[in-house]
Amino acid sequence: MVFSGLPFLFFYLVVTLLIYKLTPLKLRNLVLLIASLFFYGWGEPVYIVIMFLSIAVDYTHGMLVERWRADDRKARMAVASSVFFNLLILVTFKYYDFLAGSLNALTGWSIPLLGVSMPIGISFYTFQTMSYTIDVYRQDAPVQRNIVTFGTFVTIFPQLIAGPIIQYKSVADQLQCRREDLEKFVSGVRRFCVGLAKKVLLANAIGKLWDVFLAADTAELTVLGGWLGLIAYAFQIYFDFSGYSDMAIGLGRMFGFEFIENFNYPYISRSVVEFWKRWHISLTNWFREYVYFPLGGNRVSRPKWIRNILIVWLLTGIWHGAGWNFLLWGLYYALWMLAERLFLGKRLEKLPAALRHIYTLAVVLVGWGLFAIEDMGQLGGYLAVCFGGGSLADAFTLYQLWSYLPLLVILAFAATPAAGKLFRKLPERVQGAITPLLVLASLVLCTASLVDASYNPFLYFRF
Amino acid sequence: MNKTMQRVTAAIFCLFIGGLGLLHLLLPDRTFSPVENRNLAQFPAFSWSALRDGSYTAAIETYLEDQFPFRDKWIGLKTRYEYLLGRREFNDVYLCGDTLISKVYDDSRADKNLQYIQQLVEKTDLPVYLGLIPTAAEIWRDKLPEGAPSYDQAAYIEAAKDTGAIYVDMLGALSAHSGESIFYRTDHHWTSLGAYYGYTSLMEALGAEAEPLGEGETVSRDFYGTLYSTSGVHWLQPDTIERYISGEGVTVEDVYNEETHGLYVDSFLSEKDKYSSFMGGNNPLYIIRNPDAATDKTLLVVRDSYSDSLAPFLTQYYSEIHLLDLRYYRTSVADYAAGNNIDEIFVCYSVENLIRDADAVFLGQ
Repeated sequence: MVFSGLPFLFFYLVVTLLIYKLTPLKLRNLVLLIASLFFYGWGEPVYIVIMFLSIAVDYTHGMLVERWRADDRKARMAVASSVFFNLLILVTFKYYDFLAGSLNALTGWSIPLLGVSMPIGISFYTFQTMSYTIDVYRQDAPVQRNIVTFGTFVTIFPQLIAGPIIQYKSVADQLQCRREDLEKFVSGVRRFCVGLAKKVLLANAIGKLWDVFLAADTAELTVLGGWLGLIAYAFQIYFDFSGYSDMAIGLGRMFGFEFIENFNYPYISRSVVEFWKRWHISLTNWFREYVYFPLGGNRVSRPKWIRNILIVWLLTGIWHGAGWNFLLWGLYYALWMLAERLFLGKRLEKLPAALRHIYTLAVVLVGWGLFAIEDMGQLGGYLAVCFGGGSLADAFTLYQLWSYLPLLVILAFAATPAAGKLFRKLPERVQGAITPLLVLASLVLCTASLVDASYNPFLYFRF
Repeated sequence: MNKTMQRVTAAIFCLFIGGLGLLHLLLPDRTFSPVENRNLAQFPAFSWSALRDGSYTAAIETYLEDQFPFRDKWIGLKTRYEYLLGRREFNDVYLCGDTLISKVYDDSRADKNLQYIQQLVEKTDLPVYLGLIPTAAEIWRDKLPEGAPSYDQAAYIEAAKDTGAIYVDMLGALSAHSGESIFYRTDHHWTSLGAYYGYTSLMEALGAEAEPLGEGETVSRDFYGTLYSTSGVHWLQPDTIERYISGEGVTVEDVYNEETHGLYVDSFLSEKDKYSSFMGGNNPLYIIRNPDAATDKTLLVVRDSYSDSLAPFLTQYYSEIHLLDLRYYRTSVADYAAGNNIDEIFVCYSVENLIRDADAVFLGQ
């Protein structure tokens, strides 16, 4: 089930909210656990086993860390074992076929592939459960003895399949006791509707433009078309992903939780370093806390620091998908990070703000090219056109530009904090009065789009 | 935000999702959607194997989507929203002012299908006439959005002259009248008026005199065609359907269904698919007989549905017309003509259909 779908919106959410709010406080975690398991099992009936396994194994490891607290060597073993288990699941389902396939291609061996589909959200929840044992070991959070409460942490549906990646310590208290009132519920509703509109009305609409240029033969692509495609993809992935995070944060609030923010207007950044402080914040935080700092961060010799940056960014790249292009994408950012920190950053600061924006956006757009085009040959051809290897524009590109121009303007506006600023400048009373209207408008238009997505006229009468 | 507005916001949200969900459960399910022209999904039957492989829950999702309350209204609303954002292309249909025009794509079959026509010319001793009907995307090219991609139908028709068939200049006839209502605004077919100009071009190729158009009769004022359905653009005025030929004394034998009726089947006028009131829809073979025709010649038309509205005009000239649809009547055209006392063969397709037709191979056999 996805949030931006009719079954979720009009059935799952209605029933879950109803039962949840009617249940006494003590039993609400149990309701949430059952509802979340149902949510996961709906899309992945078989892989629900992994959920149960994750709960059981990580719960046990947390208890072991606590028991062996006095004996650090044993406690570390428990942490290692937990990390190993989570990575084992992740590698088996996400990377095994890629690794085996690459190895086969390199060596001519024929290691059999598994050919299994990847369980939804596995990259997110394995990272969350890993944070649990580590946080308990570091005494950043107390051990969780109640298996229902712990199960709720592992499975809780708002951020189960697309983040934000919650670190255990940030929700440990909320799992025991959380404030639930009208104000929080309404702020959740608002946030959810914003996210839904971002995903359904903006991301899905501009996605079609990217599809046009991705499908185009690179021999027929124009320079303008190439960049237009990358811009479309940049908007699509931002509004899609941040829309999901908004929906997760909004849903969390409806159930009394407060999750961390995941995006902070990344496209207004003036450097690549700044971009990554604003993009997918929960993932960057995770890698910083659990990989970069333990490796010594930047408080080490320069070669070691460079090594640390490379490790973190290659991992970040491969986390996004099992493919060479993702590794390349990670390496690409590692190099820009190093360049900015070593020499580029100081020079950038002397440039006018507009140029710094353009520089950052250009780096990010090319990055999205690496990210989105998985076929290396096509990737090379596409980027070559972008940098002058084709005609400037043609009638087809201009037609696409004109038909998407109003949407592109809206997207550019929505990617900046301007809309929010404008809204907050309105008098309090006006804000209050238009909020329900905006919520209703978002719901109506999103419902229309979701119904339309299933519109499927049968065209035998085309002849 | 004060408490009242918070309550209002929460209430709107809960009532919207809860209300529509409840309505979904209460309203009866539909089996068929006339707008989409397909059967809608019903609640799936349970089985453990379907649950395990995920197809059961997927089927429930499809069911919930297909049976969503006010489905057609939501779709119209979405199209309007996209229209406001400047979109003029919906599901491969261009919206050009008050007119919908189907987008025509290049297809790998285009050249091969011309070769089949050439083979037919070589194979049969009968005269073969070839009439390729340019669609609205060609005749009304100037109405398309600026720079919108559109297949070059004129070039294809030019290439068709090399098949050796006798050329029927539909492109010229329709272009000369491009300012008139020769195509429906909500359907991809030509109107009866357009079909009349097509008829005059055939008469010209035959060296015969075309009858004057005469007085038309409007039989429907609320025709929403195929492009209305595919595009989701639901705010246009409906089309009207005209007839210029009364069809008196003309019989149409529906060979496949073993029944005989007149030139028109009026029952279709009260359904969504009103274009089928010409002849009675897509069928493998119709034989039209008119004892009062100008000649006693027999014509074989190898055709698509554009000929449904063309045939009434042809009955004035031919005493017998065989309308053969190769998608359903899969047979060698040359053999059929030889076995049925045919005098002339008329291959008549819209360019949009011929360039992607998968059954044109029977033309060459």
